[in-house]
Amino acid sequence: MNSLKKYKLFFLLLSLLFLPACKKDTPLQEVNIDNTTVYKPTPYKIQAPWYFPTQMNIPADNPLTVEGIALGRMLFYDRRMSGRQAVDSQMCCATCHLQEHAFECGLDGPFVNGQPIGIGGVPTPHVMLPLVNLVWQNNGYLWNGLIRPENPVVSKRRLEDLVWMGVVATHEMYSDTNKARAALQNIPGYKPLFVKAFGTGNITFELMAKAIAQFIRSIVSCNSKFDKYLLGETSLTASESNGFVLFVTEQGADCFHCHGGEGNPLFSTYLFYNNGKDTVFNDPRDRYAVTGNPADHGAYKAPSLRNCELTGPYMHDGRYTTLDQVIDFYSEGLVGSPYVSPLMHKINAGGAHLTMQQKADLKAFLLTLTDNDLLTNPAYSSPVTFP
Amino acid sequence: MRKFKPILIPLVFIALLYSCKRDSPIVITPVYHGNISFQFAHDVNGQPLIADTMLYTNAAGNNYLVTNVQYFISDVVLHKDDGTLVSFVAPNDVHYLDTDISSTWNWTVPDSIPAGNYTSISFTFGLNEIKNQSNAFLNPPESDMWWPEFLGGGYHYMKLNGKWDSAGSLNPFGFHLGIGQTYAHNVINVDSITGFVQNYFTVTLPASAFTINKSKSTKVEIVMNIESWFETPNVWDFNYWGGSIMQNQTAMHTVAENGADVFTIGYIHY
Repeated sequence: MNSLKKYKLFFLLLSLLFLPACKKDTPLQEVNIDNTTVYKPTPYKIQAPWYFPTQMNIPADNPLTVEGIALGRMLFYDRRMSGRQAVDSQMCCATCHLQEHAFECGLDGPFVNGQPIGIGGVPTPHVMLPLVNLVWQNNGYLWNGLIRPENPVVSKRRLEDLVWMGVVATHEMYSDTNKARAALQNIPGYKPLFVKAFGTGNITFELMAKAIAQFIRSIVSCNSKFDKYLLGETSLTASESNGFVLFVTEQGADCFHCHGGEGNPLFSTYLFYNNGKDTVFNDPRDRYAVTGNPADHGAYKAPSLRNCELTGPYMHDGRYTTLDQVIDFYSEGLVGSPYVSPLMHKINAGGAHLTMQQKADLKAFLLTLTDNDLLTNPAYSSPVTFP
Repeated sequence: MRKFKPILIPLVFIALLYSCKRDSPIVITPVYHGNISFQFAHDVNGQPLIADTMLYTNAAGNNYLVTNVQYFISDVVLHKDDGTLVSFVAPNDVHYLDTDISSTWNWTVPDSIPAGNYTSISFTFGLNEIKNQSNAFLNPPESDMWWPEFLGGGYHYMKLNGKWDSAGSLNPFGFHLGIGQTYAHNVINVDSITGFVQNYFTVTLPASAFTINKSKSTKVEIVMNIESWFETPNVWDFNYWGGSIMQNQTAMHTVAENGADVFTIGYIHY
């Protein structure tokens, strides 16, 4: 710890040294655009407990600002963003990404069994992942990590790029980016918001994507019962505590190697594993599709278990609708194949073989990861009025 | 641990200055510095590791494959021929290795190293009890090595993951080395834990004499022979031990004993 602090201090001093030198280049400077609207964005700092990672995935060309996040929130919830004229076919990010479900659609949301279907009538290839704590995610977005800096397709590398992909996909908004941009350009109230956020009233799709990405990066879940337990503000019940032990022990349920715990509060490594669900693998969107490594057949990103109470259906294809089914799967339902991750060390026994009481305890622990602040925080809710 | 103290240089200088008479020439032996960097390689009996492929047979006759290796080395000590011990200043006193992350395979140490001849290199495999504190690493990939508080806390020294073939059936193994536990009456349950055991150990690289030249960098390749984890002094039979060791101190101790000789020097480039 001591060495880390020293290191931090060193970089702090180093950054102070450079601060005056690069003032001219920084995008966060005050500009008087037209005597009425001033571009003076306020830097936004992610707030999280001390045990969260300090390194964040924020691109240098899209720093978080209060004004950028406010604009992004507006766009996230504005159905005109889809560029459609007919009101009943308009969509926005929040049509499917619901705050009360950790920004997934949920089982009781707009779709049957939590399987999103785009306006083009086509289901999404996989079920949803939560738009939560993405600011700490470094191993690529989507279930197979396709969206990553090393992607040979330059337009599919950033969180920002998922905005255009969502707008054009048949299984999502099924629109196009020119229509989306034009729709916003035709709403006079948006221009000053872009000026405040980016210093220009010239609305481009790239700026729309940047604002939405800023808002999504600001969505943080760090105030669950388990967080309060780590901070010494509450204690776990006997059942929750037993479940916690099962979660973090190799001879217990052995969840922690992939799904984190007190030493990895994101509750995922965000790495890719074949977790023993199947014996035949033909999904064109598994990890193998990204890496070409045969060992990655049937591997998908371990999702964060924060708020997992609300993020069903589960697994990349949504095959399980309840946490009980997921626990049963890891207890008795594993099936072997040459591609199973070696971390699934109980694969040949079919699972961890938990007792009914152990299953109940494990579930009780998983429920301590629900963060009511995330689900109700007005900073993440729909604006009351739109431009 | 003794460390090279740069403050000695001006002190010696001043001492020499005052001891000189006005008319005698001042003779000072200057201390020059160079640098050191390490390149890490992972072999099986002299051949570069080919991951995820059933190619290897250990001393017990188990056929096995290796998926990946992740580990910490710390407290590197360079032993100078005059008896001086040179170590690196935090945070350079810990290095994390991951066969899946190529940027970890090369480690250029920022510290200035006194020029001269060195007789050997040693380091701690894993983290000692002072360094091995929970939440010491908040960011991945190091944070993904965390070791549950119930089992002693801190970090995995190593995760060596793979599979072995037992009568045609693939079994996963995880050499997950870290702090061990002692269990009352051998009941493997966190409520039965009576104490914790430090399993880190010191590695002295054989034939690791090298030279640091003034204003130059010496590059040392350190090779891990993965097969060596399964032999010398103990022949490791997966069919006896099974695939997991995190809550089996006897197994972890056996692995740690086998670990003393897994590292050798590949090359030393000047």
